[in-house]
Amino acid sequence: MASSQPDTSADDALEQELASLIVEALRLEILPGQIDPQSALFGEGLGLDSIDMLEIALLVSKRYGVELRSENKAALASLRALADHIGRHRIR
Amino acid sequence: MRLLVFITLWAGRPVARGLLYPICSYFLLFSGGAQRTSREYLRRILQRPPSWKDVFRHFHAFASTIHDRVYLLSGRHRYFDIRTEGAAALQAVLAQKRGCILLGSHLGSFEVLRAQGMFDHNLPITVIMHEAAASNLNGVLHGLRPEIRDRIIPPGTADTMLAVKERLERGEIVGILGDRLFNEEKGMACEFLGQSRRFPEGPFLLAALLQVPIVLFFGLYQGGRRYNLYFEPLVDHIEMSSDRRSDMLRPWIERYVSRLEHYCRLSPYNWFNFYELAEHARPSRPAV
Repeated sequence: MASSQPDTSADDALEQELASLIVEALRLEILPGQIDPQSALFGEGLGLDSIDMLEIALLVSKRYGVELRSENKAALASLRALADHIGRHRIR
Repeated sequence: MRLLVFITLWAGRPVARGLLYPICSYFLLFSGGAQRTSREYLRRILQRPPSWKDVFRHFHAFASTIHDRVYLLSGRHRYFDIRTEGAAALQAVLAQKRGCILLGSHLGSFEVLRAQGMFDHNLPITVIMHEAAASNLNGVLHGLRPEIRDRIIPPGTADTMLAVKERLERGEIVGILGDRLFNEEKGMACEFLGQSRRFPEGPFLLAALLQVPIVLFFGLYQGGRRYNLYFEPLVDHIEMSSDRRSDMLRPWIERYVSRLEHYCRLSPYNWFNFYELAEHARPSRPAV
């Protein structure tokens, strides 16, 4: 039976791809799989600072053609939020 | 604080300035930490043991610039005798509509530029600063001219640098004070007045990531009603390689620190980093 649920496997793949991009770009000393998709990227959670967040925005723009602006702050909350945002707005 | 602002605006600067003497005397007697930092700094910059007069003069310069913010942020900057050197450096960058980072310090006053730039020249300048840094004073001052409040980006939030990027993309100026580390910010140890001191990498990394120029700014209080402003181009764009970042940033940070030292020698009593010692005793986080 065809499912009307969102395609979670595609979202998972995007999350994993993003996690790898972030770990590589920011030279984090963890494995991509160790990022909890629901915990905060900024501050307490993953320990990123505001310049790290800018780097993430720059790489998201380059890789997916999605411009993160300061009013999209919610998209920066966690890996999952970011993947959702990209999934909805990506042009490549 | 509100009372002092009231006296300043209604009785005039000379009357209110009279109050700075008892205020500074109070701090001279009771602020152990700030006084220790002041003496330690003055000993290094003056190259002799500082007297209590030196410390008083240091506190008085600080109190004067804080007090003058009342005038500056209420649009009464024309009262002051403000002289500018090197403004062409900033104008050249603005003419290219690229936006730039104006890198200042806690040496002297940044407000003197914000005020003159905003009110007289329509300079599109936004400053990254903690509204809490100057405690309740900012709250009172921003009530005087609300438009200046919109020209502040608070540091240390997830979208701080996105907001900065947006301003720069519009060809605007973003002011950053580059001589003080916030909390866990990445710092680089540089030689400053014969001692190792950590300076933030952030402004330089930001310039490199966004490929914008950095112009240096110093606004030095000269006593009385006189301020001297200095602009100097630092770098047009910082080359970046992904794996040796700190090496790429180091020459520009060192250049900034050496200019900071130069202006410290020019106006020794303008150094307003009074809360240093504890911070520098902490071990540094490894640089990225």
